[in-house]
Amino acid sequence: MLNVADVHSYYGRAHILQGVSFALPAGAVMVLLGRNGAGKSTTMKTLIGIVRPAQGRIEFAGADIAGWDTHRIARAGLGYVPEERRIFTDLTVMENLEVGRQPARDNRPPWTPDRLFALFPNLGRMRNRTGGRMSGGEQQMLAIARTLMGNPRLLLLDEPSEGLAPVIVEEMANAILALKQEGVTVFLAEQNPHFAARVADRATVIEQGRIVWTGTMAALQADEAARSAYLAV
Amino acid sequence: MGFILVQFLTGLASASSLFLVAAGLTVIFGVTRVVNFAHGSLYMLGAYLGWTILSALPRDPAWFALGVVLTGAGVAAIGMTIETTLLRRIYKAPELLQLLATFGVVLIVQDVVLKVWGPDDLTLPRPRWMRAFVTIADQRVPVYDLLTIAIGPLMLLGLWLLFTRTRWGTLVRAATQDREMVAALGVDQRRLFTAVFALGAGLAGIGGALALPDGSANGQMDLTVITDAFVVVVVGGLGSLPGAFLASLTIALLQAFGIVLFPKITLVLVFIVMAVVLVLRPNGLLGRPLAAARGDANTPALVRAAVPALRWLGAAVLLLAALAPLFAGPFALSVLTEMAIAMLFAASLHAMMGPGGMVSFGHAAWFGLGAYGAAFAVKGLALSMPAALIIAPAGAALAALLFGGFVVRLSGVYLAMLTLAFAQIVWAIMFQAVSVTGGDNGILGVWPAAWATDPRTYYWLTLAICTAGVLLLRRILYAPFGYALRAARDSETRAAAIGLNAAWLRLAALVMAGAAAGLAGGLTAFAKGSVFPGYVSIGRSVDALLMVLLGGVQSMAGPVAGALVYTGLFDILLMVTDLWRLVLGLSIVALVLIFPQGIAGTVHRLWLRGREA
Ligand SMILES: Nc1ncnc2c1ncn2[C@@H]1O[C@H](COP(=O)(O)OP(=O)(O)OP(=O)(O)O)[C@@H](O)[C@H]1O
Ligand SMILES: [Mg+2]
Repeated sequence: MLNVADVHSYYGRAHILQGVSFALPAGAVMVLLGRNGAGKSTTMKTLIGIVRPAQGRIEFAGADIAGWDTHRIARAGLGYVPEERRIFTDLTVMENLEVGRQPARDNRPPWTPDRLFALFPNLGRMRNRTGGRMSGGEQQMLAIARTLMGNPRLLLLDEPSEGLAPVIVEEMANAILALKQEGVTVFLAEQNPHFAARVADRATVIEQGRIVWTGTMAALQADEAARSAYLAV
Repeated sequence: MGFILVQFLTGLASASSLFLVAAGLTVIFGVTRVVNFAHGSLYMLGAYLGWTILSALPRDPAWFALGVVLTGAGVAAIGMTIETTLLRRIYKAPELLQLLATFGVVLIVQDVVLKVWGPDDLTLPRPRWMRAFVTIADQRVPVYDLLTIAIGPLMLLGLWLLFTRTRWGTLVRAATQDREMVAALGVDQRRLFTAVFALGAGLAGIGGALALPDGSANGQMDLTVITDAFVVVVVGGLGSLPGAFLASLTIALLQAFGIVLFPKITLVLVFIVMAVVLVLRPNGLLGRPLAAARGDANTPALVRAAVPALRWLGAAVLLLAALAPLFAGPFALSVLTEMAIAMLFAASLHAMMGPGGMVSFGHAAWFGLGAYGAAFAVKGLALSMPAALIIAPAGAALAALLFGGFVVRLSGVYLAMLTLAFAQIVWAIMFQAVSVTGGDNGILGVWPAAWATDPRTYYWLTLAICTAGVLLLRRILYAPFGYALRAARDSETRAAAIGLNAAWLRLAALVMAGAAAGLAGGLTAFAKGSVFPGYVSIGRSVDALLMVLLGGVQSMAGPVAGALVYTGLFDILLMVTDLWRLVLGLSIVALVLIFPQGIAGTVHRLWLRGREA
C-alpha cells in the first residue's frame, strides 16, 4: 500500500528526516513510535505533502507521490489527521464534514455523516455546534471523521490519543479497531505505548530522523533492548 | 421632512455602491490575506468596460442589466488573469511584497485605461427610464437611486446564501481559516483562490458599471474608490461581509447628512468615523482579531547590519553625490536634490515599518506637515530658513506624538488604515482651509535663505542634512532602543515580560519617523519654493511605500537603495516615455516576481550565499 524509500526532509536548513524508509502492507494498523522531536509529525507531513521531501520515493497506490501537491495526494486516497486537529472552528460539525467530502473510492460504500455518527456517537449529538465550542476529545473525533469523509485508503493519524481522558482514549481505540474491520489501512504516530499496543499490529521506530526498528507489535514488545534504547525516557 | 427622506435615500444608494466594492475586497482579503490595492483599479475597469459595453447596447433596462452582468464577467476574467499570473506566485511572500505587487497593478491599469479609453471623462447617455423620478413625500426621488438601494441588500443576501448554503462557500470559509488543512482534505486551494478573486473582481466590476449613470468613468476613480473601500472594510472588520454592509450604511448616511450639515468637513468626516471606530473597536465593528491564516510562510522582517562591502559602496556613492554639483547641470541637480530628500523620506518610513513593524499608508501626513510647517514659518512668522527647518520636523513630531497614541494601539492593516485616515484629514485641512493654506493653490514663494539660493549650495545642504538624518536613524535603530523596538514588534507579550513597554516604544518610533519625514517635507518646500496639498496626497504616501518596498524592509540599505532607484527610475521614465506608469508598474511586478525579498534583501542573501559557498 505504502512504500517509503530513503526520504529526506528539511525545515529551512534543518535536516529533519535523514533517510526514512519503511513499508506498510494494505489492511495493517502500523504505529510510528519515537521520542519527542524524533520526526514523527514531520514524517506524517511529508507523506501528505505539507512538507516537500527533498529526496526519496513515496510509493502509494501505484504512483510515486513524492513532490505532489497536498490536495492531489489527498485525492489519491491518503487521509491525514494532524496532531493539532485543526478543526475549522467557525464551521459546524456538519460543515466540517462537508469540507472533507470526496467521491467514493474502490467500489466501497462511501462514508456518510450518519455512518460516522455511528462510529462516534458524541458527534451525532452536536451536528450544528461550531468546532470552536467542542472539547478536545470531540474535536479529535471530528478531525478523524472529517478525514474519513474523503474515503481514504490509508489514514494517517498523528498522536490521536494525545491529551485525551482515559475513557475517550478507549473510545478512540475502539474506533480505530472498527476502521480496521472496515478495511482501512492506518498509520499512526503515538507516544502512548498502551494505546499503541491496543490498536497496532505492526510498529516502526524513528529516532533523529531515521527508522531504527521495524517489525510486528508483538516482536517490539518482546524486544526489551530495543524498547529501552529507543523509547524509554 | 421630505428633504431628510431624500438625503436618507441618497445615502442608502451610495451605501449600496460602496458595499459592492467593499464586499469584493473583504472576501478577497478574508481568503487570500492579500491586501489588494488594485481593487479600485478593477472598479475603474468596470466603469470603462461598462461604458464600452453599455454604449453599444440598446438603451432599455433589460439590456442595461445584461450589460452590467457582462461587465462583471469581463472584470472577473481580468481578475482571474491577475490572480493566476501574479498573485498566485506570491501568496507565500511577505505581506508587504504582495502589497507592492498590487501597487504595480494599479500603475499598469492606469496607463492601460489611459491608452485604451483616452484621458476624457466618459459619461453614459441617460435614456428616459434612467432619468425617471417617483414622488415620495412631495419630493422627487430618482428611480435609478431606488434600484441601486435595492441592489446592496440583495447582493448581501446572495453572498450570504453563497457562503453559507453551498459547498463552495463552505470550502471558502474553511480556507479562510486554514488553507493548508483544506488542501490536506483534497481541495485544490489554488482554484478556490482564483475563483474567490474572480468573484471579488466581478463585484468590483459590477459596482463600477452601476456607478456610470450617476457619474462618469475617469482616471482618478481607482484611488478614490480604493480609499473608500478600505475605510469600509476596516470599519466593518476585515473579512466580515455583514460588517462591510453595516459600515457602508454608516459611512454613506453620515456623508449624505454631513454634506448638508457641515459641508466643509465631509471629506474629513469619513476618516474621523474610521478613527473613532478603530479607537473604540480595534478590529472594526464586526471583525475579530486576525489569527494569521495557517499555512503561509510569512517570514518576519529582520534588520541586519550592512556588510562591509555595502558600506564602502555607500561611501563611494556619497562621495560621488557630494562631487556632483561640480559637473551636474541644473536639471540633474534638482533630480539629485529630490533623491537626497527621498532617501530621508523613505528611511523615515522604513524606521516605523521595518524595526517598528508599523506599516503606514499615510506617511505623507508627516511630510506634508513638515512642508507646510516650514512654509508657515517663513511666510507667516517671517522666520529664517534654519528656524523653519527646525520647525518642520518639530511640528511633524508633535503631531505624531498627539496622534500616535491612537495608532500604536492597533496593528497590521488596521494601523495602516488609521495612518491613512490621519493623512486624509491633514490633506482635507490643507485643501479646505483656503484662508490659511491657500487651498489648492498652495503657498508660493517659499525660497531658501539668501546664502542658500544657489542650487548647488542648497543641494549640498540638503545632502548633508539628509545623510545625517539617515545615519542618525540608523544609529538609533542599532542602539538598544532599536533592539527593544524589534523585540516589541516580534512579540509584545515577551517584550513585556522583560520589562519593555511596547506602546511607548512604538510611539517613540512613530515620533522619530514623523520628525524625519517632516524634515524631508521642509527641505522639499524650499527646494520647490512652494507647498501644495499634493504633498499630503495618497500618491505621495504610496511613493514612500514603493521606495521602501522596492528596496526591502530587512535592512537600512533597503529604503536608501529603493529611494534612489525609484526616484531615478521615475525621472528617467518621465523623460523617455509617456507610459511611465505602465513601465514602472511592469518593473515592479517583475521585481516582485524575481526578488521576492526586495532588492537589498536579495542582494544581501546572494552575498551571504556567495560567502558560504
Ligand atoms: N516548523 C518547524 N520548523 C523548524 N523545525 C521544526 C518545525 N517543526 C518541527 N521542527 C523540528 O523538527 C524535529 C522533528 O519534529 P517533529 O514535530 O516531527 O517531532 P515529533 O516526533 O512529532 O515530536 P512530538 O512527539 O513532540 O510530536 C524537531 O527537532 C523539531 O524541533
Ligand atoms: Mg509530533
